[in-house]
Amino acid sequence: MSWKIWSLKKSVWVFHVNTGACNNCDIEVVDLLTPKFDVERFGIKLVGSPRHADALLVTGGVTAQAAPRLREIYRQTPKPCIVFCIGACACDKGIFTTGYHMVGPVDKIIKEIDPNAIIAYVPGCPPKPEAMISGVVKALSAL
Amino acid sequence: MNQQQLNSKLEEIKDKLIDIEQKAENRIFLLCEAENACAVNKFLFEDVPLRFVIATGIDSDDCFEVLYHYAYDPTGCVVTVKTFIRDRQNPSIESIAPFLPAAEWIEREMHDLLGIDFKNHPDMRRLILSDDWPEGVYPMRKDAPKPKERPDGQPSRRPTVQSQSPAQRTVRLSKPIVAVGPFHPLQEEMEFFQLTVDGEIVTDIDMRISYNHRGIEKISESLQFDQVPLLVSRICGICSASHPLAYVNAVEEIAGVTPPDRAQYVRTIIAELERIHSHMLWVGLAGHFIGYDTVFMWAWRYREPVLDLLEEITGNRNNYGNVKVGGCREDIPDELIPRILKDLDLIEKKTEMLTKAVLDDPIIHARLKGVGTLTKEDAIKYAVAGPTARGSGVAIDVRADEPYAAYADLDWKVISQPEGDVFAKAVVRLLETLESVKIIRQALKKLPKGPIDMEVKEIPPGEGCGRAEAPRGETFHYVRSDGGNRPTRHKARAPSYVNVPSFRASCIGQHIADVTITLAAVDPCYSCTERLAVVDGHSNIVHDYEALLKLSREKTARLKKEIGAPELKMEDL
Repeated sequence: MSWKIWSLKKSVWVFHVNTGACNNCDIEVVDLLTPKFDVERFGIKLVGSPRHADALLVTGGVTAQAAPRLREIYRQTPKPCIVFCIGACACDKGIFTTGYHMVGPVDKIIKEIDPNAIIAYVPGCPPKPEAMISGVVKALSAL
Repeated sequence: MNQQQLNSKLEEIKDKLIDIEQKAENRIFLLCEAENACAVNKFLFEDVPLRFVIATGIDSDDCFEVLYHYAYDPTGCVVTVKTFIRDRQNPSIESIAPFLPAAEWIEREMHDLLGIDFKNHPDMRRLILSDDWPEGVYPMRKDAPKPKERPDGQPSRRPTVQSQSPAQRTVRLSKPIVAVGPFHPLQEEMEFFQLTVDGEIVTDIDMRISYNHRGIEKISESLQFDQVPLLVSRICGICSASHPLAYVNAVEEIAGVTPPDRAQYVRTIIAELERIHSHMLWVGLAGHFIGYDTVFMWAWRYREPVLDLLEEITGNRNNYGNVKVGGCREDIPDELIPRILKDLDLIEKKTEMLTKAVLDDPIIHARLKGVGTLTKEDAIKYAVAGPTARGSGVAIDVRADEPYAAYADLDWKVISQPEGDVFAKAVVRLLETLESVKIIRQALKKLPKGPIDMEVKEIPPGEGCGRAEAPRGETFHYVRSDGGNRPTRHKARAPSYVNVPSFRASCIGQHIADVTITLAAVDPCYSCTERLAVVDGHSNIVHDYEALLKLSREKTARLKKEIGAPELKMEDL
């Protein structure tokens, strides 16, 4: 294990990216910070800039207008970083698969610019906060 | 004015119409040719007057149709002007936006999606499609190419927002601007605001949407009537009971069916639980924006029992998928009722506490009163809905104006405040939460026995309008059926679609420190108040979102010092 990965696994700071989600995954992500789940206990913190982030929490199936912005955010995130696809849309465009304005899913857009990106999937519509915590734990222990 | 007087008023414009059709008790259709549309709309908006809801563009076989939907709130009547544009090659119609600013966005949208040209429109920039979507490809037309990666053609060079537009990106901006969005660190969706500032004062605001455009209306045309509620509940996760409810109201109107009583009550209870959790969510975020993170944590904590109840009833914390044409999918089990009542007591107690904390706190008064005021005149001009309208003294509420589900049987009142500032909107939301608790208690008490579902075999040809009051305001769905098993056109209007453009009236003249809370005050589905980058024209200093949030919080702290109020203590909560 390189020291970069070792340090990545401690106190993961996350940046939340909505690429055209319906808000459900997003409010559940924010829910993680509030008293019932309170992931800040584990050092997981939502930060205001991708440059401070260890992980991206991406929700939504990536609309045509959001795709260039998602690429830019991924470029700005220090590597190595983990990309979490939160929800059915981020994993595989979900119910919006046939939409004319959808260019996703997330992994396709990210792999266009970095084929070796670390991508983790948390399916569900929306995934429960418990599922998100479990997804983060599983991804970190797989590194 | 009652319904008869409205009908006779509508007769006055008869010479400009082809026909007047009454399709249901509360649904009037005025048919006219494209050249008369502007005059008819002007008459309806200024002389009757009616409230503009939305317009629907339809690609029919031999012509384009533009439907302008108006609501007459005292009787709950929906008046629709149906205009026919016969020229399929160069469809064009006179714009109504010059006298009706609420129609500005929808006309831009129809131009993007259907290629209808609106003459004399003040601002025909791209709205809903992405920057690189080619010109001349109109996805909502029936002959549009099958969705694929991206349509062929040169990317558009049409201007969008000054600082984001592909055509003008290299042009030096003449005035200092504040770019807000499209991504922000806290939560929710993408949207881009560009504030022009003079020192601390906002002098202009421009918006760019499209980041979240998923093409739901087109997807809906490929789904069966029974599948559509699952799609529309994903228009907005926080309104995932209201959108399906408005949709089934429209479809049930076409089919002429009334679902069983118990289903109506279950729908009401789910919709009100949703309103409680949505308003609590807003109170928390509003507290966060002005620097009261304690309120944020407490409001969200007491939102959790509501989500647990919804999970218990429908199987999911959000996206309930409970409403279907002809009834509901999940019933409220009798053994759950005592628990719901117990949780309601807790929620009521805590909401009262939050209301008291807001109403009694001198700093919140100083911070929110007179901030981001939307006057009653502007509220009518921009045709805003929900708590945004009720906070400006426009007491409209679909639940009272055109009762659906079980609202007509229950005793509750519409909350409205005349001031129009952020404080008034906060008060409306808090008091509404208490009303919702009252509604659920009564509905549980009166909950009739019986089935929750009936079979609806086919949807006959026809068209219907359905409305429901979402936490943010009126959701409006228009559905047209040709007798098949899919809608041929389905238009959905979310309340934020009319509330967001009203920023132009409420933000201009405000301090930058007040903008975060003013934008948040309408509870936009895409509240994009974060990740601001302020470019100060004089010194070229670039601030980011954190700096602006700090500005907002410093103002609160300064006021606190001036007023000499005590710190908010944990035991007060």
